[in-house]
Amino acid sequence: MGREAWNDFRLYVITAESNHPGKSVVDVIEQTLIGGAQIVQLRNKTGSRDEVLEQAKALRELTRKYKVPFIINDYPDIVLETDADGVHLGQEDMPIAEARRLLGPYRMIGISTHNLQQALAAERDGADYIGVGPVFPTDTKPGRAAVTTSYVTEAARHVTIPFVAIGGITLGNVDLVLAAGANRICSVSAIVGSHDPAAMCRSFLRRLEAGAEESKTVVMNGREEHTRARTVEQLVIQAGQQNKKLVIELNGIIVQRALWAETELKSGDSIELVHFVGGG
Amino acid sequence: MANTEGTVWSDRYSRQTRFAPIGEKGQRKLADACVLIVGVGALGASLAQHMVRAGVGEVRLVDRDFVEPSNLQRQMLFDEADALAVLPKAVAAANKLRGINSEVNVIASVADVSRTNVEELASGAQLVLDGTDNASTRLLLSDVCFRQGIPFIYGGVAGAGGMSATLIPGETGCLRCLIGAEQSENEVDTCDTVGVLASTVEFIASLQAAEAIKWLTGNHAAMRQTWLSVDLWSFRLRESAMPQGIGNCSYCGQEHAESDSAEEANRESEELGFTVLCGRDTVQVTLGKPLDLDRLEKWLGGQGCMITVNRYLVRAKLPSGEQLVLFPDGRVLVQGTSDSDYAVRLCKAYVLELKQLI
Repeated sequence: MGREAWNDFRLYVITAESNHPGKSVVDVIEQTLIGGAQIVQLRNKTGSRDEVLEQAKALRELTRKYKVPFIINDYPDIVLETDADGVHLGQEDMPIAEARRLLGPYRMIGISTHNLQQALAAERDGADYIGVGPVFPTDTKPGRAAVTTSYVTEAARHVTIPFVAIGGITLGNVDLVLAAGANRICSVSAIVGSHDPAAMCRSFLRRLEAGAEESKTVVMNGREEHTRARTVEQLVIQAGQQNKKLVIELNGIIVQRALWAETELKSGDSIELVHFVGGG
Repeated sequence: MANTEGTVWSDRYSRQTRFAPIGEKGQRKLADACVLIVGVGALGASLAQHMVRAGVGEVRLVDRDFVEPSNLQRQMLFDEADALAVLPKAVAAANKLRGINSEVNVIASVADVSRTNVEELASGAQLVLDGTDNASTRLLLSDVCFRQGIPFIYGGVAGAGGMSATLIPGETGCLRCLIGAEQSENEVDTCDTVGVLASTVEFIASLQAAEAIKWLTGNHAAMRQTWLSVDLWSFRLRESAMPQGIGNCSYCGQEHAESDSAEEANRESEELGFTVLCGRDTVQVTLGKPLDLDRLEKWLGGQGCMITVNRYLVRAKLPSGEQLVLFPDGRVLVQGTSDSDYAVRLCKAYVLELKQLI
């Protein structure tokens, strides 16, 4: 798999064996690939190195068959041994430079980030992509505070390498994540924990495609912005202003609050978001 | 046309009537007009002054608060003596205004504008001018104005920024449609959180007053039809066209729904209510029953409180440091806390306790 194809993925799947008792990792991941998963990560925090190696070999073979990239969480040595496409690191794992030294220039390095500072550091240190999350609270990483969609929006604005929104994402909230500016999402338990992972992947892909309307260029508060927001309301969410009292002007005319959700944005629109002034 | 000593000043309004769009005809309309000004703080005091000097026949003032030293920087009708005397703002303002123009019937109410009294306060007014400091009172005023067909001239200030717009029933959308009725946690910047420039106040009050004079003198075609926002520090000014009403809105839509406000008002109970006054470390507790201030003054004095008293209110500094400001209409401003539960407990301990003893 050539590196140039890497950026195409939008639906990222990660293994989580405890989410599907009675079914093997390989069987479940094959279902996700049938459903259209575009990149797979092996994540096994509890098994021995030998177990991880064995799963990695099986998944390497499977992902080759479906022509999608294969990433291993930690274990750069197993990446080399199984000819996986890259490694995924946490903030507490080895530095990116160290992983790069071990893996050489052509394998992918991804890293989980929880705030913009970490994201920009990862970009500077040569990561190929970052995880952005957990967007919502999740059992996969208990005890970690959710970063909310506002970090997704920050990442969309400031991060230039691919970023994957992750953490507690379900069909019920994926639209919020997309509206906040994500292009790529990863769902762990909602997919591999589903009784029909293939169907679940297809559902997520449909939502990703619906969210991938043409990017448009609008002038927001005097600055040109690229956005995939369909409506004024989605733009407000992307700007992280949904909890503020705002007065919004679109092309010279105030848009009533009650009409934000149904007022569609077009390329070339000029929009002003102004905080309602309440003192007296 | 006479001052307090009965002298007629025929040229009192001469500089206003020589302005062609107003003229003698406009002046007569002003003399016949009635405006309601809600909130007599910075914007409200300035607006009141404009209306009274211009010779508006009846000016109604409503305010729930009293004069404090931090008001003097910008609230143009008040002075040090008002702050020392802890006068209610409506009363202090009316005193000054009657001295400015004795021909105007100035009616001052020390009260909190609520669903129970707003219809009556607005009834018969040709205009409602916004001198409030919070979105929920503005929404209430917008509702009643659209029900009664009265234009509402909104103004807001904070820091060096301000906004103003005239909402006209039958022509523009109502405030509820424009900004939404959702409660937002840290609502917006207020003068208490980000401060305010006195010049910003005067700028916005001046815009409101100009529109008010146009409306009251019958110059409706001259009304500014925009939502104006300004920052005086960077000097940026922006005008946005006002939208029409929304068809299905029960206030500004074409199909006016039958209002159930009278019912709502009747349903309003006499139970304890409270409002946290934004950013002020003050909670307003509504006891729902009139208070006997003479008795309360003696009782609170006996409880070790330091008492300040005037005809309109009793202020008691509690041994624990908070202050209770009691109004005869059954309201208590609890200063020194923004914890509403604690404020209610203090009212129970110091005010309702007495009622049970009687």
